[in-house]
This record gives sequence, C-alpha cells and structure tokens, in this order.
Amino acid sequence: MKFSFSIIQKLAPGKYDKATLVEKLNFHSFEAVDLGGDILEIAISPNRYSDASSHLGIAREVATIFNLKLNDPTSKLFKPDSKENGVFNVNIKDRKLCSRYMATYATNVKVGPSPKWLRDALESCGLRSINNVVDIMNYVMLEIGQPLHAFDADKISGGIIVRTAKKGESLETIDGNPRTQRAEQSSYDGNKLNLPPEILVIADMNGPLAIAGIKGGKPSEVTGKTRHILVEAANFDGGNIYRSSRILGLATDASARFSHQLSPELVSLAIWRTLQLLKELAGAKLYSPIDVYPKKQSKKVIKWNLKEINNLVGSDFSEKDALKTLQYLGFRKSGSSLEIPPLRRDIENIEDIAEEVARFRGYNNLVPVPPRVALASAEQEDQITLKDRMRTFLVSVGISEVYNYSFLSSKEISGQGVELRNPISSQSQFLRDSLKPHLIRNLEDNSRYFNEVRVFELGKVFNIQNGVQNEKLMLGIAILSKESHLELKGLVDSLLGGIGVTEYIAAEKNGNRLEFTVDGKLVGYLALASQPRGASVVELDLGELLKVTAEEREYKPLPKFPSITRDLSIFVPEDVRVGLILETIQRVSTKLVDDVDLIDFYEPTSQLQTKRDRSADSGKRRKSLTFRIVFRAEDRTLTDAEADREMAIINQVLINKFDAELR
Amino acid sequence: MKKLNIDIETLRKSAIQAIKDAKDAVALENLRIQFLGRQDGELTKILRSLKDLALEEKRKIGPAANALRQELENALEQKLKSLQATSYKLQAGLDLTMPGKKVSVGHLHPLTIVEKEIREIFKSMNFSVVEGPEVESEYYNFDALNIPKDHPARDMWDTFWLKPTSNKQPTTHNKFLLRTHTSPVQIRYMEQHKPPFQIIVPGRVFRYEATDASHETNFHQVEGLMVGKDVTLANFKFVIQEFFRRLFKKNLEIRLRPSYFPFVEPGLEVDVQCVKCDGKGCNVCKESGWLEVMGAGMVHPRVFEFAHYNPRDLKGFAFGLGLERIAMIKYNIPDIRLFYSGDLRFIKQF
Repeated sequence: MKFSFSIIQKLAPGKYDKATLVEKLNFHSFEAVDLGGDILEIAISPNRYSDASSHLGIAREVATIFNLKLNDPTSKLFKPDSKENGVFNVNIKDRKLCSRYMATYATNVKVGPSPKWLRDALESCGLRSINNVVDIMNYVMLEIGQPLHAFDADKISGGIIVRTAKKGESLETIDGNPRTQRAEQSSYDGNKLNLPPEILVIADMNGPLAIAGIKGGKPSEVTGKTRHILVEAANFDGGNIYRSSRILGLATDASARFSHQLSPELVSLAIWRTLQLLKELAGAKLYSPIDVYPKKQSKKVIKWNLKEINNLVGSDFSEKDALKTLQYLGFRKSGSSLEIPPLRRDIENIEDIAEEVARFRGYNNLVPVPPRVALASAEQEDQITLKDRMRTFLVSVGISEVYNYSFLSSKEISGQGVELRNPISSQSQFLRDSLKPHLIRNLEDNSRYFNEVRVFELGKVFNIQNGVQNEKLMLGIAILSKESHLELKGLVDSLLGGIGVTEYIAAEKNGNRLEFTVDGKLVGYLALASQPRGASVVELDLGELLKVTAEEREYKPLPKFPSITRDLSIFVPEDVRVGLILETIQRVSTKLVDDVDLIDFYEPTSQLQTKRDRSADSGKRRKSLTFRIVFRAEDRTLTDAEADREMAIINQVLINKFDAELR
Repeated sequence: MKKLNIDIETLRKSAIQAIKDAKDAVALENLRIQFLGRQDGELTKILRSLKDLALEEKRKIGPAANALRQELENALEQKLKSLQATSYKLQAGLDLTMPGKKVSVGHLHPLTIVEKEIREIFKSMNFSVVEGPEVESEYYNFDALNIPKDHPARDMWDTFWLKPTSNKQPTTHNKFLLRTHTSPVQIRYMEQHKPPFQIIVPGRVFRYEATDASHETNFHQVEGLMVGKDVTLANFKFVIQEFFRRLFKKNLEIRLRPSYFPFVEPGLEVDVQCVKCDGKGCNVCKESGWLEVMGAGMVHPRVFEFAHYNPRDLKGFAFGLGLERIAMIKYNIPDIRLFYSGDLRFIKQF
C-alpha cells in the first residue's frame, strides 16, 4: 500500500527523515520500501487493516517508535450546521452483513477542482483527482482507513435501504465497469453488471444505487452538476465483501479494505473528519449524520500479565517500559486489566500483547537462550532412513539423482488420474501417477551430452483408489545403456538384498516387463521403454517395501568343504526363457547345486547354425547359453564323480524339457 | 682406543655417502658387502676385534659400533626402497602417468545434500525428523492453522486445488489441495504426540504461481516445531542462530523483524548476515548485508487448541525455510528452475 511521507509527518510530527523511518518501520512494524519522492510502500499485514491501513494508523506506529505525540485529526470536535438529519432515512435489512451505517445529508455543495495539497496527497498514494467531493472521500479513506461514498442526493428516491440483491437486478457502475480481476460468475446486460442474489447493495425505492463496499453506481455519481449529496460511511461484513469481489471480478481500494474486516468504530471517526473537510473545501451546509448502529462493538479487555509476556518472549521487560509502549499504541491499563483500542481487531490474547511490547522494545535486543530439552533421543521416520539408504547405494553404483515436477499432462497418465481444478497449464493438468515419464525425458535430454545416462528419483505419485486419492512414495531408476534392462535387473537384486528382501518373484509380462512381488504383493516393475532406444525403467513402491524389509541379519557358517565348478554350454530354441532354465538346474539337485549363473550367451543370428538346424527343423533359430554351476556338499568334500553324475542328470533334464543341444 | 673411535666416525661418513650415491640395486648390494659383509666387511671387522679389547674400552666402543651397524642397515633398506619406487620407468608397458580409469560415481541432487545437512544439524540438537502428505485437506492446510476462510490472509498462499473425486457435499475435510507449506504437519504431529518434543519436517510444497528464476510451482520447505512448558522466543533465537552458523560454517549474526503468519504470535521474519560478503553488502544480498531466509514465530494459542492441547499449559516456536533458497545461497545458483531441469551437467557439479 502506498503512503505519503508528508502526511505521515503531519500526523506524527517529529525530527526523523524518510530513510530512518523506512528502517525503523521494518524493524518494529511492517515491511517498508522507499519508492522515492514523497512515496513509501508499506506492506500492511492482513490482520492489521482495521487499525493500520491508513496514514493515521502508520503515524501511531511512528509515534510509538520515536516517542512522539500523535496529531490526531479525529480528536477535534466538529459541529454540523443543522441538528436535523435532512430528508433521508436509513434501513438496514441485513444486520449481519452491515453492522453500522452512517449517512450525512449536505446541501449547497460547490463541486469543483481540489486544492493542490489534496491532489498531491492522492497522487502520492496512486489515486487520481476527480473533483473536490470525491477527492475528500478518497483522502479520508487514506487518512483514517474507512472507505466512504458520496451520492448525488437528487438521484435518490425515498431513503437508503441496505439489502442483498434481488433476482434480475443490475447496475451500471462508476468507471464504466472495469473488470479488475478474474470474475467467478459476473455477466453484463449491456453496460449493466448483473447482480447475483448474495451481493449486498445500497438501494433506494427504485433499486440498487451502489454495490456495498465495492463500487458506486453511475446514475447517482457526483458530477459537476451535483448540488446536494449524501455521504455514506458504513461497515460491511469482510467475508461477504471478499466473496462478492471475487464473484463480480471487481477489486477496488474499498473492497480490499472491507475484505479484511474493519472495525465499525472507524465509521464515525471518518464521517466527522469528512464533514470537516466538506465544510472547508466545498462550503456545504451539513446536516447531522444519521447513525444506524444496532449492536455496538463491545469493549475488549485482557487481563494484564507481565510475567506471561516475559515467559513467552524470554525477556525481562519492566512493567513501566511495557506499559509505556502500549500507551502509545492506545492501550489503557485499568486495574488489573488492559483495555484494547477499538480499532485493534487483531488483539485477542496476551500473546498478541506480547508481540506489541516485544516488537517495539526490539527483537534484536533479545538475548538468545539455549532451550531446556528433555533427554529423549532424536528419531527419524523409517521411510526417511530408507530413502537415505537407497540414495547411498544408487550413487555408489554410478546413478545420479534428479528432481522432477509432480505434474503430468492427460496424455502421460495411465489410469484415472488425480486432476487439478486449476492447473497452471494443460501440460500439468494431473498429478503424476508414475515417475517414469519425466525420467524417460531426463534420459532423452541428457543423451545429447552423455553416451550413457543413469538417473533416479525418489518422489510421491498419486492415483485414485476407491474413490479417494492415494499417495505413494516411489523410487524410479532409468538407465540408457547397451543392456540397460539387465543392468537394472541386477541393480534391483542388490537393492532389495541390501534392505533384507531376498525372497521376491520377478514375473515376466508381455516379454517387455518384469513385475516384482513379495509375499504376493506387487512392489514394483521393470520395463523397457519404446523411446529412446536402449532405455529401461524400474519403479519400486517404497511404502510396500518398508513393510517387508528385514533389519535383522544372522550369521551363517562359512562353507567347510571345497566346491566343484562346472560350465555347461547349450543351444536352445530362442523362445526358451533363461529364467526357467536357471530354475530347473537349481531344482535338479537342490542339495548339491550351490549356485547357477549365466556367464555367456549369443543371440540367435542367421550365421549361428547348429548341426540340427541344418538337418531337421531348420526354420527354428536357436540361442547359445553358457551356465556356470557350483556344486557343494555341506558335510563332505565332493568327488569329481559325484559332480559328473549331477551334470549328466542336468544335461538329460535340459534335453528333455527344453529341447537343448549340448555344445 | 681413540683411534678406533675415529675409525668408526670416518667409516660412518664414507658409508652413508656411498649409500646415498648408489645408482642401482647392484651397487647397493656391493656396498652392503663392503661394509657389512660376513667375512671382510669393514664394520664387521671392527666388531670382531672388540673381543680383544679391555672391558672398559669394549663398553665404550661396542655400543657405537653396534649403533652404526643398525644405522647402515636402515640406510641400505631405505635406499633400496627408493630405488625400487623409481624403477617403473624402466618397465615396458606400464605407464602410471596415464590418466586414471573413470570410476562411475553417481551424484546426489543438491537439494538432497542441503536437506541432509539440515537434518543432521537439527538431529544433533535433538530434533526428530518426520514427513507428511503432499495432498492435504483444506482443514490441515488452512483452518487448523488459524488461516481464516473468506479472508485475504488466505491469499498469502496461492493454492492448487484438486477436482473433487465424489459428489459428496464439500467440507473442509474432503476438499483437497496440494499443500502450500509444510506447516500442516505441525497439526498432524501434535494430534499424535504429547509434548515436550521438537521436530523438523522436510518436504515438497506447491504454489499456484507463474514460474521464473526465483519462483516454482513445486519447491521444498523445512518446517520446525518445538513445544514444551517453557519454550521462549529467546530459545528460538538461540536455536536458529546455532543452526545457521553450523549450516554456513561461519559465525553469522541473525536478526528478527516483525511479520505476520496466522499460525504464530508473535510472527517473525528471520534474516541472516549475507554469507557471501559477511554483511558488508554485495550483489547477492542486494547491498543490504542481509538475506531473508525464514518465517517464524511462537505457536498461536489457537493452533494448540486445534491440536487439542491446552494453550495455557504450553508454549512453542515454529519456523519454515525454503530449501531451494538455502541451496541457491550456498552454491551460488542463479535460477530455481535448474533444480528441476534433470540436467546431469548441473547435478554432477555436486
């Protein structure tokens, strides 16, 4: 919000320059920036609009900072020209949405240009001068913080009615209906803005005159021809104005202030100040204000408790210092309680009081104190530890970590995804249901600079399960290399073994996908990607794996007797799965076969022809496999004869079962 | 006897010099025979003659001669080692000056490195580490944190909302969004645990806003929460100063400025002295000497109420920092989007 340094100085006169003021405001009140010239930008926090979104409010902070006397223009008494209220009355139909309405009738108003000081003041704060009447309304809003509105009184029929819009009502607003933000449901009927029924309006007997708290209407606008005016100062429900402003797509200085919920006590402060200026600058004859204020804002008091303040802050403020600060801010101690200034809607408890004292005494004078901590060991959730272990392992085998976006396009997700109501673009309309699409993109992007690419990501994926969104922690690994799928398969084995999962099943699906299960639960998959060539991906569900990890390890005695190793080379038809052969060899003699490994293989090519190919069924291509089989007995040293016997059995089984041919 | 003494000293000088000058292992072996040879070694002869001397002389010369033998043996051994060490030059086919074989090592993402460091520092100060869900209900992300509905205060967090998955009447518990901060975990943790405790919560958060060099639609925060009977703002100041000093490994000052977050009271903004210029002013801190790094404050009594705690019995501090911001400061990274580029030329620098 923009502020004028000269107005602040007028309200809190003292010897301080702008730079000092900006610095002090930052340390005691609000973030402030010097915008050059007379202008300051001050970020009023959302809870302080009621008391501080005005020059008077800032001046009160300034007076507290520098120990100055506030020059409060609302403290001067003003006597209207007539004790009568004039020709109008005010009827609030919805007292929840409008807690106070003051209206003042003024005649013989001389509408004309504003004096220079007024034009300058408005300009400093980013407002345009219109005419003296409208400018006074705006100036008082800037000075006191209460938005006001002036109607051309001759355009009002009967009295003022504050009510919600009726079906079919519309209004042409001042400034030709500019739409300042995205409207949720506004529509126009020619120049007229249609008013949905929840919108609060100021109306007369003929219909809406203004959208309450947001914008005035064109027909009752104050112009050069205006002679008599009706000045409005009212308090509206913040939530209603906030919603209405969004519905209509209209955000104004007034709506911004009302949305934050102002105090109804501002209303009278502002209207008296307005009358004073109207007399001064427009020579009007002023009637006494009508004040409809059915339920007065109650006086707030909080029990004074300095000890509690010092306990919270860790300070040793003296009663004298603390109360001095609070008095500058308008708090009053009476007996054992503290009276809260009516505009301070943010103050509700002793913690709020503590903040007021602490920020003006200075946070930077606070001495750091080590906390007293109960001796309980710091812990880390299991999934964090698991992530760390995965990272340590993957980095050690040459895979680098990436972070990708949590969003995907509709084309990239597979099932019924979790969809955003307000995506930033169609490319990121859904939450990712898999880490794969981004990882594949990482492979492609990096393949421009590296021959082989190895990346992993740990992150959440989302899908819909039983009608609700489900969030899973996944590990995704993607590799681009000559035999990326085998590399990944070996990696999964070491990775799972490393966290104590040795009993898992890798089942082949459609020839290009392996699915890993533990105790019948799917924990992940390995898939070959169609693009780029040589890319494969693994995804593991860390949530599921966390349930089956075994932390305990038990020592197994080292083998006492030597082993015998034999290699076995065979040709088998190309569609025979190596996994099945390995399993078969292992099963021939589970007692004596200690380990089986595939140590060499040739893919079938046209050059590779065996004796049988040439003779019988030459159409069927065969592949060559070499296995290394380790035999060992637990209770004795195996003899070569025993190993030979086992080999003979294995050979026979392979020939029978797989149509194998020994090389 | 005097003569023998002098002999030993001259012998020492000439032997040491000769060993030093030896060009190869063969020459060295010859020297060993010359001085220490079993039959005619010069020192061997002296040692052998000891037995003919009087007891008193034996006591004086014996130790000196034996010490020299020890010294020469050591010198020969040392020289042999150094000759062996340089002899590779002579071996064909072995060239240790060739570049080493590339060992492929993966790299952790810089955000992981910083997060780990932050976790370690807080764990050493007895903070536990917990996480929370990225999809949150409106209740945990806003209501329970005392962020009022239909109030501009809620606009401080630009929010991604999820499309409803059912036709149920929307309530604050079944209206879902992408969490805009890690603060909901404060409530979730307090609902399940009894104070005193202190935790940090690292995690991914989301903001509905345009992307540029310093803004992203998803980024990471670390939340902190300490609750106990007598936790004070002065305690916060201590903990956080200690944290930044350890993180940046410098004796940096911190300063606190008033700020507003609905879930704390008082609310604060934390600045740390610029790491690059130590507070003198530079382009990193825009000549201010300070870096804005954290929002913080004392837990609002209403937040305790939402967590079913009695606010009159407890006090606490909470803070939140942006992981990307810290990493950008620490590593001098100019653009937040680099973290999500997946570019290994970037990742491999860490």
